[in-house]
Parts: sequence; structure tokens; C-alpha cells
Amino acid sequence: MARNKFDTDEELDPEFNPHIVKRLLKYLVPYKKRMFVAGLFMIIASFTSLLGPFLIKTAIDVAIPNKDMKLLVLLSSLILMGIVVVWLFLTLRFKIMSKLAQDIIVTIRTDVFSKIQALPFTYFDSRPHGKILIRVVNYVNSLSDLLSNGIIQLITDLFNIIVIVGFMLFINPKLTLVTLATVPVLFITLIILKKKQHAAWQLVSHKQANLNAYLSESLNGMKITQSFAREKENRSIFSNLCAEWKNAWMPAVIRNFLIWPLIDNLSTIGVSLVYFAGIMWFSDPVSVGTLVAFAGYIWRFWFPIQNIGNFYNNMVTTGAYMERIFELLDEPVEVSDIQGAIELPPIRGHVEFSNVNFSYEKGYPILKDVNYVITPGTTVAIVGPTGAGKTTIVNLLSRFYNPDSGQVLIDGIDLKTVQIRSVRKQVGVMLQDSFLFSGTIMDNIRYGKLDATDEEVINAAKAVQAHDFISAYPDGYNTEVNERGSGLSAGQRQLISFARVLLADPRILILDEATSSVDTETERAIQSGLTRLLKGRTSFIIAHRLSTIRNADIIFFIQDGKIMESGTHEELTRLGGFYSKLYKNTDLAEAM
Amino acid sequence: MGKWIWSYIKKYSFLMASGLLLTVIVAALNMVNPTAAGQIVDRVIRGGEKSLLLTFVLIMISATVLKSIVRYGYQMIFEHVSQNIIRNIREDLYDHVQKQDFSWFDRSPPGNVMTLMTGDLDAVRHFIAWVLYQIFENIIVFIFSIIVLSSINWILTLAFMIIAPVIIFLVLRFKNKIKPSHTKVRDQFAKLNTRVAENIAGNRVVKAFVRENYEMERFQKENMTYRDTTVDNANVRIAYLPVIESIGGALPVILILLGGYLIINGHLTIGELVTFNGLMWAFTQPINMMGNLVNDAQRFAASADRLWELKCRKSKIVNEPDAVAAGRVKGDVEFKNVSFKYNEVTVLENISFKAESGQTIGILGPTGSGKSTIAKLLCRYYDCTEGSVLIDGIDVKKYTLDSLRRNAGITMQDVFLFSDTIEGNIAFGKPDATMEEVKKAADLAFASDFIKDLSAGYDTIVGERGVGLSGGQRQRIALARLFLMNTPIMILDDTTSSVDVETEEQIRDSIASETSGHTTFIIAHRISSLEKADLILVVENGKITDRGTHKELLARPGYYRHVWLHQNGYEGDIQTNHTGE
Repeated sequence: MARNKFDTDEELDPEFNPHIVKRLLKYLVPYKKRMFVAGLFMIIASFTSLLGPFLIKTAIDVAIPNKDMKLLVLLSSLILMGIVVVWLFLTLRFKIMSKLAQDIIVTIRTDVFSKIQALPFTYFDSRPHGKILIRVVNYVNSLSDLLSNGIIQLITDLFNIIVIVGFMLFINPKLTLVTLATVPVLFITLIILKKKQHAAWQLVSHKQANLNAYLSESLNGMKITQSFAREKENRSIFSNLCAEWKNAWMPAVIRNFLIWPLIDNLSTIGVSLVYFAGIMWFSDPVSVGTLVAFAGYIWRFWFPIQNIGNFYNNMVTTGAYMERIFELLDEPVEVSDIQGAIELPPIRGHVEFSNVNFSYEKGYPILKDVNYVITPGTTVAIVGPTGAGKTTIVNLLSRFYNPDSGQVLIDGIDLKTVQIRSVRKQVGVMLQDSFLFSGTIMDNIRYGKLDATDEEVINAAKAVQAHDFISAYPDGYNTEVNERGSGLSAGQRQLISFARVLLADPRILILDEATSSVDTETERAIQSGLTRLLKGRTSFIIAHRLSTIRNADIIFFIQDGKIMESGTHEELTRLGGFYSKLYKNTDLAEAM
Repeated sequence: MGKWIWSYIKKYSFLMASGLLLTVIVAALNMVNPTAAGQIVDRVIRGGEKSLLLTFVLIMISATVLKSIVRYGYQMIFEHVSQNIIRNIREDLYDHVQKQDFSWFDRSPPGNVMTLMTGDLDAVRHFIAWVLYQIFENIIVFIFSIIVLSSINWILTLAFMIIAPVIIFLVLRFKNKIKPSHTKVRDQFAKLNTRVAENIAGNRVVKAFVRENYEMERFQKENMTYRDTTVDNANVRIAYLPVIESIGGALPVILILLGGYLIINGHLTIGELVTFNGLMWAFTQPINMMGNLVNDAQRFAASADRLWELKCRKSKIVNEPDAVAAGRVKGDVEFKNVSFKYNEVTVLENISFKAESGQTIGILGPTGSGKSTIAKLLCRYYDCTEGSVLIDGIDVKKYTLDSLRRNAGITMQDVFLFSDTIEGNIAFGKPDATMEEVKKAADLAFASDFIKDLSAGYDTIVGERGVGLSGGQRQRIALARLFLMNTPIMILDDTTSSVDVETEEQIRDSIASETSGHTTFIIAHRISSLEKADLILVVENGKITDRGTHKELLARPGYYRHVWLHQNGYEGDIQTNHTGE
């Protein structure tokens, strides 16, 4: 998977892909009936309003010369009725379509969001979050106009063109042919323009994505920026991105705005031709009313054509966005339930790794042929140098990734054969990154068990020694925290995340540096309580502090993706290998 | 409120004014074709002056060509101007956000700020690029059409005008109703954006707790509310816009009925009626557009309000008027009776200590006791509530923020890396650093070994927050970043908590050598990280409860000795004598 920086344009098809339209249309299928009704309403409204020039022609050619006031009254009341019909049906159509468009958008956005829930860590690790965000929110939103107006409008416009030509033919066939003479010019120019437009708009969307990605990231990292006094550099990067966006924008609109003058001029030329033909060229002169009606129809004729052009424009711009959305929806989910995956039954906590190999990137193995068996209720400590693969071992256990080869078994069941949800429900993990959601401290701890009572939450907090500092806040457990838990120290955030995982009460508990930012005294206090909590549970503890690991039933020393040594603290110390070397300096005698 | 946006527009007032002037020309040219059409009917068709037809047609075509050129010209002017204005506003807002203090960032979800700087700004852009001149152009066209029409026949013109009060009434009502609705939509959009942004940022936790369904529910709530506010908004528009347009459609009725009557009575020619018919467009077009333009204008107003709120936020940490830009400071640090409250909770109370240039100060204390806060006050991320923090005997408030922070570097507990190459991340504080400098910094932080093992070495792009790297690896990159900055004052806030013991020891040595000559603050939980410090402060509950060197502190009972004993395997206090169990 391509890793992506804020200033890298994403790769996309240079050509507009009609396949996208097909896919979008699939979302419309459930709304077929409503769309049909809306389309019908629109057609009725259009037809009614197209009667206008014909009625005026009748007034000029028949009623006025004959001084027929009755006919005038009749004609004007027909127009008046037409207005009411148009108003009524347009309103209904808008009502149906705006609701429908929003329903579709909700569906697409839900699909995108749920896809994001299913995507593996690597997806999030390898691209700026701003680029994911803009897909879910902005890009989906940009479909709104296309869906609410675009498609119905397109159908109506095609219909309008037919009706207009019909009216013109009905009034005067020869004049109609003269009028249509300008159409090919329009089409040829439009086709040439559109090709360039697509590329131009795609560039705009790239540049906008880059700008947003940088913005989002720089908002997230602003504290670092300020602490390194780097505002000026950031400002100039941002300024460049803004400039790139503007530079992409201008060529796109320069082409966009060419279409209207083109139509305006063609329509004037069309009208002129009609005058010449009607007055000079034809043997039987055309009536004034006919000329007026033709002028009216020519004017109305270009509208739908322009609309169709706009629709295409819209398709092109939103097409670029839709490509992004569908690209996200098509992202392979590396870790997913296989066909017929079963639910993992309640587990005892027997864990086995058998010949497990794993790599994040091909050719860079992280775990090499890892084998071990753990009986239920064992506390396992995993130690070793940074980057040795400690976190990876436990990540495979939660099935955040699948091993490249070999098997990860719980209670003898290969995790590949069971539903991911059922694994993670029973394997609780406290991650290195103690992320808190915006909400109260109570909500955050309760995230581990949504139906937990306040008392259960408080007990979990007490178990990790967090109760005291939480109750010291004026709002206690109802204190609001947010994304990065601002206002709390790193240690306090770890304690809250710790309480969260304890509350989940998993059968297998993984603590990945759960207390690395917590002072050792608090940690000791936690441990005494934890021994009771961990009783009967299999647990994995990743830590560097000797005090955290020495009481484990078994210690794995990991280096270069292999378990180099395993045994109790005493055994490993006696062994005199890596482990004893690593911890020799914490030996009391030397420290004195 | 909208005034500040106006101040940006003013810079381009010449271009804007010329653009608006050009719209007047176009509006005037719009009158040509209907008039010519009327003349053709009256003089060519009915008057039989066929030789005039070519002239009239040429007039029509050249008016249209001219109109197209002028129109295209000012459209480009407005696009160009609006792009420049938006760029200025966006960059200024970015600066403004960059200047905000930490307590604001603590409270403001990035998703919300994102919404403001993308969607809301775009509403402003649309207003300047399109709505502004459209309103002007339509008003002018409307006025011109009234003038031309009334010069032909004032009775018919007056009859056309009947609809005006109705339209004005409806447009005003619509204007008042639609703005609150747009504000709601924008606010809800920001909420949705924030919800999704948070979900993406917390994706690991969501997966770890199998909370996908719960997240779906929370998301659906905002998603549905957003749909509902959007539909409500559409309904307001639907209630007004078609009516307004339909009333414009009533003009042909007046035209046929009254126009016909006037012709029959000889007060109007058919040609004039044709002109009226043509200009009817000029008359109804502004009316039809009015609803949509008012809608866009109100959307702009709603977004401008939201942006104004951001614009009004004044950072509490700013350069004092008499602040000076310091060069490289010596590095004497003093805290004088410093107290600090955050959200009305006392975090630090009466902290006093002195560190001389080149000294190493260790800080030890329980979680949440205020250790990091001491560091944050020194770099002026927050201002102390009482007392003062001095560097080289001068209050930190008297330094410009930029120069202060270039002198006091920090590695924060929560390591944030940017989605950039490793090289870019290390050189973050010194973008012009050479590759050698970057490598040296990485060596000192014991990061070069693992960096070399990565697929692209120093060019490996790491994800946001450095995910993809282990906690210890991230910490070492952050450390290298600080070493490269080489500030006279260095603060290492729990910098090696996720680093293995062996590497930590090596890093400790390199910190000792690298920081010699620097005033260094080491905040840590492992006594082994602090024991060589010149002065160790024990911070408990926001107060310094003990201070001294390792030897002094070890010699007396207290928190420090207690911790040291526990960390070295003693249970209880000094009674036990062996390293073990």
C-alpha cells in the first residue's frame, strides 16, 4: 500500500470513468419509485411551462389582430393555470428529491464509515488522516447536488429538448431546421472543452485534498509546532499549498466560464438566422407571432443543453470525488472473517503460537518463526529491545493482523477460522497509545463495557488508582476530556485507559506498556490489586520496568522477531543471557 | 461581523469596482437585443424596410459578442479576486490558529476547525466570486429594464411592477428564515466532521474494544441529524423559492391581457409588445435569481459568523508589548513562588527553585503531581497564575514566544510525528539541517540502527502520530528532533518510558554528553534516569516536597528513598537486604 504524505497527489485514472456512474446508480435503485414520481412531476411542470411561447404566439397572431378580447382572457387564464401547475409540481418534486438525495447520502456515508471501521490499522498508518476524513464528509456531501437535482434535471432536460423541437416543428418545420443548424457547432466545442475540463477539475480536487490533509495534520500537531517555534515554516508550506490550489482552480474556471458565452452567441446567431429565413429567404413570410415564439423556444432550447453541460461538469468534478469514495470502499480488508467463520466459544485462555511469521512490508520480517504455548491463567511478560516485535505478537493475538504463515490458536482454535469480533470481545488490549474520546471521564471508562453501572466504572478506576485524582476534579467523573485527553497528564490518561480495559473484563488481557508513564509507586499499588484481578486470566504484559515484569509466571525475551529466552525471572537471571545482561544494572548491588 | 471580511475585499477594491462597472455595461447591452427585435417587427416586417434587417441583426450579434467578452472578463476578475481574498483569509486564519494557546487546543476539536477552514471558507469564496456581482448585476438589469420599458409604455411597465411588493415581501421573509437554518446546517456539519475525525484518530481503540457498532450508532446519530437539518433547510427553500419564481411567471399574463388590450386600442404596437416580451426576461430574471442569491448570501452570513467566532478568539499567550527577541540564552532558570491553576483546579502551588546554566535538574513525583506542568510553564505554553518564571534573570514573558521556544526545547510525553519522512520529522525544528546533522542527532538518540532497518531508511514515511513505529522508536525520533534543535535549555519529559532498559542506559549517557553545557530538565519515573542530576526535585500534589542530590535524598526517609528502594527490589523500607523476590 502506497504510503502517502500531505503533498503527494493520489494516483487516479486520468479519464473519466463511466463505471462510477453505474455504481452510483446502484444507490438509486431502492428509490426507483420515488424518482419516477419526481421525474413525472418535473415533466408535467416542464411541458406546462413550454406552452408559454405557443400561447403568446396565438395571442399575437390570432387574438390581437382579430381584437378578440375573449380569446386573450382565455389565453391568459391558461397561462395563469399553467403557473399554478408548475409551482405545485415543482414544489412536490423538490420535496421528494431533496429528501431522497439526503437519504442516499446518508446511505453512502454510512457505507463509507462502516468500511472505515473494518479497515486495518495499516490503512490509517499509511496516509494522513485528513485525506480519510475528507472522503467521509466533504466528498460525500458534494454528491448531494448531483443527486438531488442532477439526475432528474438531466431526464427533464432531454425531455424538454424533444418537446421544444416538437413545438417548433409543429409551428414551422422549415424554420426549425434553420434553427438547428447551429447545434453541431455547440456539440463539437463542448466535447473539446469537456476533455480538458475533466483533467483540470481532477487537479483541483487533488490540490484540495492535499491542503486539507496538511491542515488537519497541522491542527493535530500544533503543540509540537509551537514548541519548536516552527510556525513560519508551516505557514510557508501552507501558503504554497494554498497557491497550488488557486493555480489549479483558475484554469478550471477559465474553461468553465467559456460555455455560457458560447451558448449565448449561438442562440443569438440562431435567432438571427430565424429572422433572415423568416423574413427574407422563405417565399411565404412568417408571422410575427411565429418569430416571437421561435425566439422564445430557441432561448429555452439552449437552457437544457447548458444544463446538460453543467450536469456533465458536475459529474466530472464529483466524479473525481466519487472515485475517491469508491476507492475507499474497494480497499481490501486484509483481516476479515472467512466464509463460515464461527463464533469463538467462551475461552479458557490457552494460547499457542505455532511457527508464526509476520511482516508489515514484504521483505522486512518482524516475527520469525515464533512458537510458544501458554496455559490458562498464566501471566506472561514480554521484554526486549524497542522494535523487536513485542507489540506485534500481541496484535496477532487480538487478530489486528493475520500471520503471513503459521497459526495463532486460542484454546486450540485457529483464530483465522473464527469471527474477529468474537476474538476481540474476549481478548482485551490496552494499547500503547492511550486515546480518549471527547466526553466525560465516566464515558471514557465505560467505553470498555457500555452497560456498566457507575459503581462498576468507579471500581475499575479504583483498581488502577485513578479514583483519587478523578474525584479531586470539581466535576469528578463528569469532567469533560477530549481526543488527546488534554488537561490530563500522560500518566493519568494511561490510568483511564487502563480502567477502561479492566472494565471490559476480558478472558485474555494484554497490557502494552500500560503503566509506562505512571510513577512506580502508583504502579505498585495497581499491581497488588491487579494480582487479584488477573487471577484465572491469561495475561500478557509488555513493559520495560523490572518491577512490572519480575512477578510474571513466564518471561519472554524477544529480539529480532524471535523468542530468544523464556522462563521465570530467577531462571533467566541464572541463565546469564540477554535478559540478565539487560537487567544487571537494576541490580541493587551495582546501583549502590 | 462581516466587516473583517470586508477589510480583505477592500484591498482589491479597484479590481472589484472595475468588475462591477463592467456589469453595468453588460446590463446595458442586455437591453439591445429585445429592442432590436421589436424594431425588426415594427420596421422590417410591418414597415417593409427589409434593407434594415441586416443592420439590426448585426447590431444584435455584435452586442452579444461584446457582452460575452465583457462578461467573461469580469467573471475572471471576480474569480481571480475571490481566490486571492480567500487565500489571504485562509492564510491569516491559519496564522491565527497557530498563535492560539495550548488551553484553546485542549478544548477545540480539530474536526471543527477543519470545517471552518474548508466548508465555511468556501461559502465566503462563493459569495465573493459569484453572489456579490450577481446581486449587483441583477439589480442593474432590473433598473435598466424598467427604464427601457417605461420609455416604451409606462402603463404596461406599471402593471409589471405590481408584482414587485409581493416579491420583496417574500424575499425578506425568506431571508430571515433561511439564515438560522444555514447556521444549523453548518453547526451540525461541524459536529459530524468532528465525530468522524475522532473516530479515525481513535481507530485503534475502537477496534481493540470491538466498538464498531457503538461507533456506528454514535455516528448515525450525527449523520441522521445532519440529514434532517439539511432537509429542513431544503424545505424552507422549497416553501419560498418556487413561489417567488412562479410570481415572475405571472408577467406573460399581464403582457397578453393588458398588452393585447393596449394594442387593440392603438396605444401599443406589436413590435413594442415583442420588445416587452424580450425584456420580460430582464425583468423576471433578477426576481427568479433573487431567492437563490439571498439564499447564498445568507449561507455566507452564517459561515462568516462562525468564522468570526474563530477570528475573535484571542490567544492568552501572546508577546508582551515590551518583549525582546533573545539570542542564545545562558540557561539560568528560576521559578519564584510559582502557582498555576487549570480549569480552577490548583495544579502547582508555590514552586521555587533555581537552576544554573549547565546544570541538570531531575523531577520525580507521582502521576498527575504537576511535573510536566513545570516544564510547560517554562516554555510558556501556559502562563503561571502567580509568581514568575525567569530565564537568565528575566521573566519569560519578556521574551518573544518565538525566541523563548527556540531556547527552551522539549520532548513531550505524547509523541506526535507528522506524516512525513523520518528525516523530515527529525529536522522538524531545523528544516535547513543537513543530512549529516540529522544522522548525528539520530545516532545520539540511538535511533539510527532501527531507522537503517526500515524499508526506505531516513526516507521512510511514517504515518500521523508515527503509528507504524513502536512507542520506543517514536520516542527516540522525538529525542533526535530535540537534539538537533540543540537548545540551551532542554526538557526531557518522560522521554524514555517506552524504551528498553539497555537502550535507555545508552541514551542516558548520550543525554549526559549531549546536554553538557545545556541546562537540562529530566522528568522521569525511573530513579536511574535522574540520579546523576545536580538537583532533584520531588513534586507531590503540586508542591515541591523535597529537594537535593541523589545522595542527600537517599539519606533521608521520604518519597524519593521509598521509590528508590522499591525500584531496586526492596519490599517495604530499608529492613530487607537482598535484591529479590
